[in-house]
Amino acid sequence: MKYLFTLLLLIILCTKTFAADSTAVSIIKISGTIKGEDNKPVNGANLVLEGTIDGATSDEKGVFEFETEKTGTYKLIVTAVDYSTHTQEVNLEAGLNITLDIKLKKNITTTEQILVTASSFTSGENSKVTLTPLEIVRIPGANADLYRALTTFPGSNQVNEGSRITVRGGDPDEVITILDQATLYNPFIFDDSYNTSSFSTVNPWSLKGINFTSGGFSAKYGNALSAVLDLRSYDMPTTTGMFAVVGVGSAGLSGVYLSKNSKFGGTFSLSQSYLKPFFDLNGIAADYSKVPEANGIGGTLAYKFGTTGNMKLYANYSGDKIGIRNASPSYDGFFNSQSDNYFANYKISFAPSPASILSASTSLSLYNRKLNYGVLDTRTKDYYGKGRVDYTQPISQKTNLNAGVEYEYLENQVSGTVPAFSYNLRPNALAYNIDSSANSGRIGAFVETEMRLTDKFFAITGFRSDYHTLSKKISFDPRLSMGYEIAQFNVIRAAVGMYHQYATPQNYLRANNDDLVAEEAIHYILGYEFNVAGDIVFRVEGYYKDYKNLVAQDPNDFKYKSTGSGSAKGIDVFLKYKWQNKFTGWISYAYSDSKRKQLDATTQVPSDYDITHNMSFTGSYNVTDAINVGITYRLSTGKPYTPVTSSIFDPVQNVYAPIYAERNSDRFPTYTQVDARFQYITSLFHKFCVVFVAFNNIFDQKNLYQYNYNFDYTSKTEVPSLNKRIVYFGIGLQL
Amino acid sequence: MKKTLLLVLLLITFGLNTVLKADDDFSKAIVKAKKNFKSAMDKYDEKEMVKSRGEFERILQLKKNVWLVNYYLALCDYNIATSGMLAKDNDKVKKYTQSGLDLLEKSTIERDNFADAYVLKMSLEYNRFQYEMDKMQSIIADVQTAEETAKKLDPTNPRFYLVKGIATFYTPAAFGGGTDLAQPLFEKSIELFGLIKNTDETLPDWGNDAAYGYLALCHIDQGKLPEAKTAMDKGLVINPTSSFLTGYVKKAYDEKAK
Repeated sequence: MKYLFTLLLLIILCTKTFAADSTAVSIIKISGTIKGEDNKPVNGANLVLEGTIDGATSDEKGVFEFETEKTGTYKLIVTAVDYSTHTQEVNLEAGLNITLDIKLKKNITTTEQILVTASSFTSGENSKVTLTPLEIVRIPGANADLYRALTTFPGSNQVNEGSRITVRGGDPDEVITILDQATLYNPFIFDDSYNTSSFSTVNPWSLKGINFTSGGFSAKYGNALSAVLDLRSYDMPTTTGMFAVVGVGSAGLSGVYLSKNSKFGGTFSLSQSYLKPFFDLNGIAADYSKVPEANGIGGTLAYKFGTTGNMKLYANYSGDKIGIRNASPSYDGFFNSQSDNYFANYKISFAPSPASILSASTSLSLYNRKLNYGVLDTRTKDYYGKGRVDYTQPISQKTNLNAGVEYEYLENQVSGTVPAFSYNLRPNALAYNIDSSANSGRIGAFVETEMRLTDKFFAITGFRSDYHTLSKKISFDPRLSMGYEIAQFNVIRAAVGMYHQYATPQNYLRANNDDLVAEEAIHYILGYEFNVAGDIVFRVEGYYKDYKNLVAQDPNDFKYKSTGSGSAKGIDVFLKYKWQNKFTGWISYAYSDSKRKQLDATTQVPSDYDITHNMSFTGSYNVTDAINVGITYRLSTGKPYTPVTSSIFDPVQNVYAPIYAERNSDRFPTYTQVDARFQYITSLFHKFCVVFVAFNNIFDQKNLYQYNYNFDYTSKTEVPSLNKRIVYFGIGLQL
Repeated sequence: MKKTLLLVLLLITFGLNTVLKADDDFSKAIVKAKKNFKSAMDKYDEKEMVKSRGEFERILQLKKNVWLVNYYLALCDYNIATSGMLAKDNDKVKKYTQSGLDLLEKSTIERDNFADAYVLKMSLEYNRFQYEMDKMQSIIADVQTAEETAKKLDPTNPRFYLVKGIATFYTPAAFGGGTDLAQPLFEKSIELFGLIKNTDETLPDWGNDAAYGYLALCHIDQGKLPEAKTAMDKGLVINPTSSFLTGYVKKAYDEKAK
């Protein structure tokens, strides 16, 4: 027992002795300065000797000083907000003071802007985004329409002032819209109706992220020649509530629900147009058989499972009905159209391992349309189905691997009567009865790596391949995108890649078996961007696109063949400035020269949407926290069109047949428009309320998109856009 | 047998001594850092707050209760961001708000049931309105999520009502804010502060004086000067060195009293 106590005493004494020893050394002073790579002092940097709490914080001159009693070799750790951690060994010897001059490097996360690929405009949570949902709904003249908002960015243009867009001289069908992996085949109402602007069915408020890429896009996207609009909706509603909007022409009601445990959520939206008060206020610009109608209903159901899983069902219906008078040379009557569009998508995603993501989706669409104008009387049914799986896996700290596979099915059915001669549309004109059906399948797969080669240089290399059942051919698309940060806020980007898009099943009906291969484009892009946290953005980008295998009509047998070709080149310039929370504005300018030998063109001529100069300015100013005013100005070269040079009388049909000049050999006059928007936020019944007034085409500019010819084509009359000066107002109220 | 017993005792004694010493080192360091933090808060001095932040950061080296140290670091970041707001330096607000949110994320990953972390998250999320108003929708959602979590974890946390009160105080009446709605929140906060019996000195204890200060500001706004004076005095009893009370609140009181 005595032995035991003796030892315990010894232990306690030893412990005390060790403690005493560690305090018996002399004090060493460590001092110096901390600077950034720009040689400016870093304020608030923290220094500490590893494993101790001995250290200091640098002052505004970057100067630090501290004392320690430790000796030996220690690791000095230096940290500062926005900078990478710096470590270095210091040898502490009694009696020797140390002076250090330390340089810190900017944190890698602050250089995220270089990861934005060329030609991209993004929206979402990233601080470098170029467009936010709030900015979209506030853009004057855009009428809270995502697509119209995009046309204020360089490279994209509106079609007939509607929601369909064309990009860098390409066809509208060469722009694909993706929502949560599914392709939205026709997200428009009043689409392709005579002299009528279309509207998008996509609600910008439902979107968590928007990525619009006008060229050089990733290998993730197939069957698109010009551009991609990739939209991500919220996986789960973030709150519970309802919102109603009532305007002079339409009303909408939307709601979101989130369960108490945040595992289950749902949304719904309803919209209905009633244009009579709108026409009463602004006048009727056209002769309608009845007031045009449009409505929509949609919603989502979402469920979270496990720690990372989410499943979501999205369904939407939209419909429209219009009858608008059109005086063509052979027939003066109403162009009647009615369409119904159904869409559903089921998506599931989860993380099989901590850093990987697996997403899979399946979607179905049905588009029904009835068209009637004189002898033309058709019923169209388009079925679309798509299944897709995407997988993302980091393979190192600096490299991500993305891979995916998709299958797409299209079926197009057309029945009814179509005129035998396009120049004779009279109800009793010679016509064909048609009842055709065509379908196609496409399977595609891609793999790509996102590599951050250094802190300042990234590259995305990708490859995709697609097989199409009608062409019976496989396409191969290698793609490369790079970004290099030449200095803080300054990035150079480049992209080159091959892109394919297959002709529609209807085009295959006009071709011999296997004659149509995928249309092909090679994109070359080089650009520079100056971006300070998305508040100041300046971007200039040059591009060249080389097309081949475009669908073109053989003048001998009038069959479609892959003999077309073309090119597009241009420069896009974009400047955005955001001043605190007061002002946001941007100016876009695009120069484009796009030529194609396509469809009935016999040589390379300006493409249908070749807009040489296109400029727009958008500004939004918060007068107070509650009042916002905005203005948009657009100016662009007129769209090309094919004029009629003369006509010959067809005695059998008893009608004149036009003789056209070379395709797209003339242009409509310069397009210009000024729009303004006023918004006031207040409370009504203690609920959030927003009142808005929109003035479109303030100066009542008569923009032309069409000429109507008389019966023998000897004179023509201008058909101005129906978007004359209008006032639109409404109120939104949280319920 | 004796030798074995001796060895076991030796190990227990040595191990216990090490653990207790580490706990003691951590507690001492945190208490000291909290004292310096309070001094910086009382003076509204950004330089001192930056120093205080560094002190907390060095405590991370002890690798003890890292979730708590990260909480204090985020609290420092919040205060530095607030200085940025007063100086209208949006870059600073953004930088430190984001840093604070990142630290809180680390803190809540390690310990997800610490209500004060979510209360602080509410404050930091509110800061985002200063520099990214255009993401209003997602900010409101993030605030709501933090608020629900904080309340669920500890419905008696006085700082929850203080932070909610401050947000209501600075929100215009038209948007569901104003002093009339903020006042009961500060009163509730003060009531709950009175019920706290905090024995662990390392845990957060800030806010009681501020609750009185904001209650006084509500009374001042409503023209109830005697009530304001009472609230102000009670706050000063709790923290006589608070420059928020002696400077900002007192100034508002004096101007109203003129």
